[in-house]
Amino acid sequence: MVEALREAVVGSLNSIKQIAIIVIPLMIAMEILKDLGFLDRIADWLSPIVRIFGMKKESAFPLAIGIIIGLSYGAGIIFKAAKEYQLSRKDLYLITYFLVSAHAVFEDTAIFAALGVSASLLLLTRLSVAAIFTFLASKAIKDTEKGVNL
Amino acid sequence: MPYPTNSVTTDTLKRGLKSGIEVTWQLAKVMLPIYFTVTLLKHTPVLDAIARFFAPLMGIFGLPGEAALVLVIGNLVNLYAAIGAIASLSLSLKEISILAIMLSFCHSLPVETALAKKIGLSAVSVIAARMALAVLSGLAFNLLL
Repeated sequence: MVEALREAVVGSLNSIKQIAIIVIPLMIAMEILKDLGFLDRIADWLSPIVRIFGMKKESAFPLAIGIIIGLSYGAGIIFKAAKEYQLSRKDLYLITYFLVSAHAVFEDTAIFAALGVSASLLLLTRLSVAAIFTFLASKAIKDTEKGVNL
Repeated sequence: MPYPTNSVTTDTLKRGLKSGIEVTWQLAKVMLPIYFTVTLLKHTPVLDAIARFFAPLMGIFGLPGEAALVLVIGNLVNLYAAIGAIASLSLSLKEISILAIMLSFCHSLPVETALAKKIGLSAVSVIAARMALAVLSGLAFNLLL
């Protein structure tokens, strides 16, 4: 019993330390990138891609926010952007389908990388699979030209 | 829009440090109890029983039976909790990589499905899609890694 407790205390503290070493610098780097306008840059890169999905090019901005910041923190901004840019319901659905499969990708990847998993493998797989999946969804969902009403 | 292009100031660094500590704190809060529970379970026959029961199913993904615990915890609670379970079990790097990709696609179902529902997607279709991606990516990683 004492043995097990010692194992739990030492092991858990070690894992937390390992994760803190990766997550804290990553979060600082992300704030720096945000202030350098990185989100807009990512949105620019995503614009041609969302066009392939048949989405309005402005969809790229809420998509970039979700990919980087995540669903829970990003949800408010995503709603706001959807309203502001008058995205169609289909656009919003596709954004959500992409984001449920890939969101907060840097944070999630970092905590798995702390356990030794290859970060680039995780990141590339997740983003490309989410893109393929969204493309398939874009073919499957019927276009309703209704605007978003949130 | 919410993130205007500013210059990098000490405020940037402070915000980054704060959110880094916040993530670490959230993680520690969730991870610690899971890590303790799983470690204590390891010293009882319970974990063995779970492992044996799920061994055939998890074997499909090249995972040991106790990995089922990680997938259940990750889906019902969140990734941090899953990390706690992974860290307390003795898994190989390949096994952790398979779990990582499966969990990346499918985790925190109660909270995240609620968000997707708010946007208007049906809970069933979102969960089905995420589980399908998790299963396919798990199979692929097992074959390719």
